[in-house]
Order: sequence, then structure tokens, then C-alpha cells
Amino acid sequence: MAEEIDFDAILGKYHSDPYDYVDICATHTGRISFKVALGSIVNSASGEWLHIPGSPLFEITRERNPKLVTAKTNGTISSIRTELEGQFVEAGEKLLTIRHPLKKKEVIESILKEVLYLFPAPERAKYFFSLDIQSRIEKKGARDLSIKPGDEIIIMSLMKRDTPIYYTGEAGVIHSVYFTPGISVDQGQPLIGICASDKLPLIQKVITRVKADWDKIVESASLEE
Amino acid sequence: MAAINRPTPALLQEYLWKHELPRRRLHHPLLPSPEKILRYGAIVGSAIQCHSTIDRAMEHARQHITHLEERGVSAASGTVILADTLVRSKGRFSRTWHAPTGGLWGCLILADTFMGRARTLLPLTLGVACCEAVHELGARNACVRWVNDVLVSGQKLAGFLVESFRSPTHNESFHLLGFGININNNCFPDPLANMAVSLSQVLGHPINLHDFTLSFLAKMAWNVGLICYEEEQGLHCDFSWEDRGNTEEQKDHLLLEQWKNVSDTIGKRVIYGYDIQQKPQYEARVTGIKPDGGIIMRLDDDHEIIEHSGELQYL
Repeated sequence: MAEEIDFDAILGKYHSDPYDYVDICATHTGRISFKVALGSIVNSASGEWLHIPGSPLFEITRERNPKLVTAKTNGTISSIRTELEGQFVEAGEKLLTIRHPLKKKEVIESILKEVLYLFPAPERAKYFFSLDIQSRIEKKGARDLSIKPGDEIIIMSLMKRDTPIYYTGEAGVIHSVYFTPGISVDQGQPLIGICASDKLPLIQKVITRVKADWDKIVESASLEE
Repeated sequence: MAAINRPTPALLQEYLWKHELPRRRLHHPLLPSPEKILRYGAIVGSAIQCHSTIDRAMEHARQHITHLEERGVSAASGTVILADTLVRSKGRFSRTWHAPTGGLWGCLILADTFMGRARTLLPLTLGVACCEAVHELGARNACVRWVNDVLVSGQKLAGFLVESFRSPTHNESFHLLGFGININNNCFPDPLANMAVSLSQVLGHPINLHDFTLSFLAKMAWNVGLICYEEEQGLHCDFSWEDRGNTEEQKDHLLLEQWKNVSDTIGKRVIYGYDIQQKPQYEARVTGIKPDGGIIMRLDDDHEIIEHSGELQYL
């Protein structure tokens, strides 16, 4: 992590383009049938348990088993590979991009994700802190809790099988927690964000600055539009 | 003090080939290779430790693996740790579990040689094996509630815990499959009195614990064998695991088929919660089970939800 952060450069980047661009790729091999077009507006999953699927994006059929893939983020379809309609694609092939308008909280998270070490979920499962870590967090708070590689920090719960997860990143303090006990986390999504304890003041500065400046940025961006 | 329940690996092997194999041949006439399945699972009970009293079977298993490693030896996959009594037993989320003399309490250690997807189904083996063993004795109304609780008329006959463990020196991964089955223990302390039941209460007579232990472990061997057998079969198939059960050619995983035979969960109206006692989340109707063991439910707003973790309570 850099010693100094160029706030103006970071905020300028979000000022000129306050969107996230989410690429959607084929989950596995199969034949593609698109359900959206360029410019379509799509919604993410909703409902109390996020059980109402988002807008349909495409159907992928493998071995006579069609699977409908829905949007997990809201926004507008900013690019789509219509030439692939009806074609067989390989797993991982990029199919379309959703342009997602960022909110203040998302911008902060987005910047933090660039400056923190993110520890990812090994599988789609539910996660909770190990008993020892949980009690230390309750006593001292996560940001006073130092962790180092090899520490048993999180329990992964999948089909009533509990697996301890050992930390493998840089030593530091837990700055951000991205999971909620009882809510599933997809494989590869960050579980926690870690930073060296001496970098905490710098990170706090980022948050304060974005909070102070973001509303002005959004206001001026909407005036320009 | 010597343990009362003392099965041995040799007795278990004898039971497997003399009793379990003929039974499986009879019940699964279309299965091409029941011997192969049983050979795959025969690792279960490769070593059996019998104790009179220990604190917790899972903790004992961890210490066993660690102590062996310190002596430069690896724990045998399939080791079973049994105890007549557990003095500090617990269930999930630190819930109490009463484990006096008369029940079957223990832990099976399996080295993590499973592929990712197969590993996910491992917890199902316990509920299926227990239910099969109980059915054989005549308690036909015992059923598995997803994931692996065994209930008789809404009362809990057996509970299971699966935890993974990485050995401290060599970083070897093991699965610890903890089991607690109420057999002849007929008195339950107050909070459990209306929630738990023993097999002898269900059948109205005492059960031979030694014979039941052999039967349960033999059925664990069969169901663990099914996972290994399906892994092998999967290496020769073109279709993906996720597509299983969707068409005539792509039949259900054999373990899931067994689970469906002994479970009454599909079709039930339930409350779902990650920790159902502390935080029930929503009501739904169970409509099916995914090839990876996830439970499919339909909410009152008619939307479908799939869970791979958590607990159900029947309504």
C-alpha cells in the first residue's frame, strides 16, 4: 500500500465516470440465448432474503439442461456480444457488461478494496468468525485485533460441515468485514479486508474525504449530464 | 476402566462381507458392483478405539491425529473413536448434548482424499447410515431431516457434527464425523426431555449396542463407498455434476438417491434458519434437493430459494 494516496486522482476518476463496469461471463460451456439487448436496464436480486432473482440476462444450455442466468447487480447493458446468440461458448467467455451507477458507500468500498488486502471465500458457503476471534472482536473491536498468516480466523459452514479457514495474507488488523453470519458468500468474494495497523489513519482519511466530497461530485456529474 | 462397547476392526470386516454385502445385493439388484462400493468404504473402522469415558470425541480425534504426528506417524483414515460416555459433549453452536452410558457416541476420522463436490455430500452419509441401521431393527418411522438429523415422530434420535481439521505439523486435512445416537439411554435431562428419544424407547425393548455399532459402521462404510464409487464414475462421464438428476441418463448421485429414500423433508413445510434455535429466518415449503445436496424451498411469495447450509424445523 502506498504511503500517500492521491485523493484528487482517485476522486477525479470517479468524478469523470461514477460507474462500475461488471463483466458477465459464461458460467460453463453451452449454447447462448440472450434475454437483454444493448441499453436494457437490469435489476439485481431483491426480497428480504435476496430470493427474488434479478433480471434475466441469458440462458445457457448444456446437455439439454437450460440454465437462466440473472443479474446480480443493477444497471444498464453497456456492451453485449450479440454475435454469440445461438452459438456454443466456452466457460469464462465474456458475454456482456453491466454499467452500474455507484453510490457513495460503494465508492468508499471500491477505494478500500484497492488499498486493503482482501481475503477471499474459498467456496460458496456461509461464514462466521471462529469462537476465539469472535470473542476478541466483541472485547476489543476488529480494528484492535491483529491477525497473521496461519491464524484460524473464520469457520466455513457448508452442508453442516464446519471447516476452519486459516488466514494466508499479510499480517494486519481487520478493517472491513464483508460477510454476515447466515448469509451465503460466493466463491472468490472477499470475506475480510486487512491493513497494516499503521495504515489505519490513512484509510480513515480516504473515507472522510470521500464522504465529504462525494455528494458534490454526484451533483456536478448530474448537472453535466 | 475397560469400555463396555468394544467392536473390533476384524468383527466389522466380518460383518461387512457376511451381512452387509448380501443385504446390499438384495436391495440394489441393479447396482453393477456392490463389492466395489463396499471395498471403497471398507476403510471405515480400519482402527477402532474403545474408551469408557472421554471428554469429547471430536477433541479426542484432534489430539489423536496431533500426537501421532508428533511421533512421525499419520493417523489411519477410517479410525473410529468410541466412548461409553462423553462428559463434555456438545452439539452445534455450543448446544448441549447429553451422552450417558447406553448411547452410541463417537467420531470417525477420514483423511481428506475427496474431490470438492464429493466432500459436500459427506455429511449426508451419517444420517443415511443411521436411518438404515435403525430401519433394519424395525423402527421404520425414523426419517432423516435435512441435512442429517434422524427423527422419530418429531423427536431427535440422533445428531451429527462434521468438522474439518488440519494437522498442525504436516498440514494434512481430515474430516471428523461425530455421531451421537440415543440407543438404550432412556433418561434425558429437562431441556431435552420432550425433544429426544432413544431407539429402545421407540422399539419398546433394549438394543444390543455392540451389534448396532457394527451395523451402523457397516452402513457408514457403504455410504462412504458410494461417494468414492461415484467419484470414480464421474471421471468417465461427460456431463457435469450440476446437471445430474435432470434426465433419464443423468441419474441422481447414488448417495442422494439413498438420502431421498430415508428422508421425509421434501414436501414438508419448514422454518429455515442458520441457527434455528437462536434466529429462525423464514417459512417455506421444501420442493427438492440439488445434486450438490442444497435444499430447494418455495417461499410464500412463490419464489424459490436454495440453501446449502443451516437448519430446518418442521411445521
